[in-house]
Amino acid sequence: MITLQTEFKKIKRKKIGLTMCALIGIQFAWLLWSGSRPDENERLRGWISMLYNLPLVSVIMMPTIMSVLASRLADVEHKGNTYKLLNTLRRPGVLYHAKVVCGTFFILAISIAQFVFVIALGYARGYAGHPEWKHYATAFLLNFACCMSLYLLQLLLSMLFFNQMIPLVAGLGGSMLGLILMYIKMYSFLPWGGFLSAAQVSMDWNPETKVIHFYYREYSPIELCAVFMIFVWIVVFYTAGRILFTRKEV
Amino acid sequence: MPTQNLVETHNLTKQYGKVRCVSAVNMQVPPGAIYGFLGPNGAGKSTTLKMILGLARPTDGSITLFGTPVNEKNRMKLLTQTGSLIESPSYYGHLTGEENLRIIQTLKGCSEKDIDKVLKIVRLNEARGKLVNHYSLGMKQRLGLAAALLGFPKLLILDEPTNGLDPAGIQEMRELICSLPGAYGMTVLVSSHLLSEIDQMADHVGIIRKGELVYQDTLESLHAHAKEQIAIRVSHTAIALDLLRQDGIEAAPEEDYLLLPMMDDAYVANLCRQLVAQNISLYRIEKREKSLEDIFLSLTGKESSL
Amino acid sequence: MLTSYIRAVKAESLKLKRSPVWLAFFALPMISAFFGTMNFKMNIGILKSEWYSLWSQHTLFLCYLFMPALIGTYCSYLWRLEHTRHNWNSFLTAPLPISSLYLGKLTQAVRVTILGNLWIFFLFFVCGKAAGIQSPFPKEAPEWFLCGTVGAVVVCCVQLLLSLVIRSFAVPIGIALAGGILGLYMTNHDYGMDYPYSIYCLGMRANNPNMEISISTLLVNSAGYIIIFAALSVFYLRRHEISAN
Repeated sequence: MITLQTEFKKIKRKKIGLTMCALIGIQFAWLLWSGSRPDENERLRGWISMLYNLPLVSVIMMPTIMSVLASRLADVEHKGNTYKLLNTLRRPGVLYHAKVVCGTFFILAISIAQFVFVIALGYARGYAGHPEWKHYATAFLLNFACCMSLYLLQLLLSMLFFNQMIPLVAGLGGSMLGLILMYIKMYSFLPWGGFLSAAQVSMDWNPETKVIHFYYREYSPIELCAVFMIFVWIVVFYTAGRILFTRKEV
Repeated sequence: MPTQNLVETHNLTKQYGKVRCVSAVNMQVPPGAIYGFLGPNGAGKSTTLKMILGLARPTDGSITLFGTPVNEKNRMKLLTQTGSLIESPSYYGHLTGEENLRIIQTLKGCSEKDIDKVLKIVRLNEARGKLVNHYSLGMKQRLGLAAALLGFPKLLILDEPTNGLDPAGIQEMRELICSLPGAYGMTVLVSSHLLSEIDQMADHVGIIRKGELVYQDTLESLHAHAKEQIAIRVSHTAIALDLLRQDGIEAAPEEDYLLLPMMDDAYVANLCRQLVAQNISLYRIEKREKSLEDIFLSLTGKESSL
Repeated sequence: MLTSYIRAVKAESLKLKRSPVWLAFFALPMISAFFGTMNFKMNIGILKSEWYSLWSQHTLFLCYLFMPALIGTYCSYLWRLEHTRHNWNSFLTAPLPISSLYLGKLTQAVRVTILGNLWIFFLFFVCGKAAGIQSPFPKEAPEWFLCGTVGAVVVCCVQLLLSLVIRSFAVPIGIALAGGILGLYMTNHDYGMDYPYSIYCLGMRANNPNMEISISTLLVNSAGYIIIFAALSVFYLRRHEISAN
């Protein structure tokens, strides 16, 4: 608990909160921009289209936001050369744990903000009916889980390498891979593919009539495995981080 | 011989917000000197040195290097003749020691042969191919000194160069610094918070306290301030004190001892006889010097830690 | 002036030894090219404009979203060399004009950007041939390359300033990503030429190879931004007391 408190103290004046707000703000602006001034048709399918857009925005921005967050939390120690010092003060596992919890706090805040914003925006635009809570709740949970798995991966990389270019490029590359996978609708077990697996809504587009049709997906067994993979990654990255960090010779 | 000072500051002042870090400092470093810049931690040493190097801008006052007032235009030219090591050593950890020096050598535009020379001087020749990340702190510090020596500048500014070194490393660094004026005609401005260190290295000394230069002269004159005393320890301090005062001797008790002014041998012998005649047993007679530490402490204020 | 510039560039090159950070400029375009070509082949029915269709598949995501951030990581890396290990003291006491020291950094950023751009075009050519496109290679490609490179230099200047002022490694990269996304909006609303992060995409004709752009506007605006952001960086280095801690 004390370690966690110090973790928050360390990032004071580092403006992590501000950075996260700014990045999440860009997401909001994007959502605000896409589908502004909806016509009657768009109002009717408003809630479902929102759930289609959200994973797209997430896959582009979240891997990078997660790498920024992880790098920010880990680099404090690299710059101050304090890994050695802190490891003498506390068991290294505790320090790792503190960084995980601290990051989780931010991710939870970001995820909640994202969904609150989306729902408020839907009502403000006068979408027909109410959001389908079951699907929204599932989307929220899976989105949060995806972010967690990526954060744990990034934290691992950021602590492992002094050169922060490596984790940041991994974040960018992953972001790109996830986006492309989503674009070509290719399911994969990669951590960045999680946002596609987490997407609740699919879309049909008729090139002739240019009519868009959204629908809730039916998961095939292999797609369910892909969803399950998100949680496997969380466990894998958490364990790997813990083991590597306790054994890291600093 | 030119008597012009190599470094001169006039009313040099630095203010951060409302805090005066350095206050009207007039520093004078004569050529060929090893100038020890002494003061407790946080007294303004680093800030003063940073201003001299142009790393911090003075709030007030001016700086003259090599007889030329420093300004934006000639800063580069003056930097060419200056080597420095400020605070902790600078280095690129993913490169070897030699590669680090090559970077500085390229920037300074000095001869490549200098790299070999300075590596030998700081005794890093064998570790030149090792990544600096794998250097010990002492080796990094010596690498920093080597970088400062590149191009063999006329003026060397070293800020706490022995910080974090082990006793052997401190000794080595000290010998190195002492040899520089003789071997290469350099003038060295070196800061430290340890009096003993300055005492063993420097020939000139400036003492800074809370941003003010409270003392500046040769080390010799600082030593002249040191005072000798006789200290005795006896069985009955109170009686002895009375006796001495009757004799007109200014005695002051300090812990178990009585401190007396310096006196010649005959006088001491006489005093002993008197005390013994009064049945006072004499345990110790010592000659005491008021140490440099005491002088330093009285100049910098007792409250500041060393 | 010239000799001090050359010295600064040489010193910067020495600093980059043994850290293959340019690999990122190698890897990301490869991912984009691989999947872009794959998608092109799978949708050959809809994507009928051969080289031009392939170009938009290659560059859409890469140029808008990832190249600014990638350039951002490189710029962050360049300054991080000084932000860590107390290097500001030695960097700023080097007997060179501050402008030369800055140009040394900028040259490195521009160099890796040009190589990255060349690599994108090389991949485009190879993938097109491999995908069996019969028509001749677009003759506009050199123009795209040149305009894109000019736009990329603008991004370099902006990111160098951000990474200099913001000491965090990661935050400027977040800004670059946000900047790229905002660029989508700006380009859509015809403000692309006035917005630093969009000029690169416009120059590259990312996503829309048939787009008509005014090259003179692109050059003038780019030059303006380059001068402004470079001047701000030099000014910051001169005026600001950057302590090593």
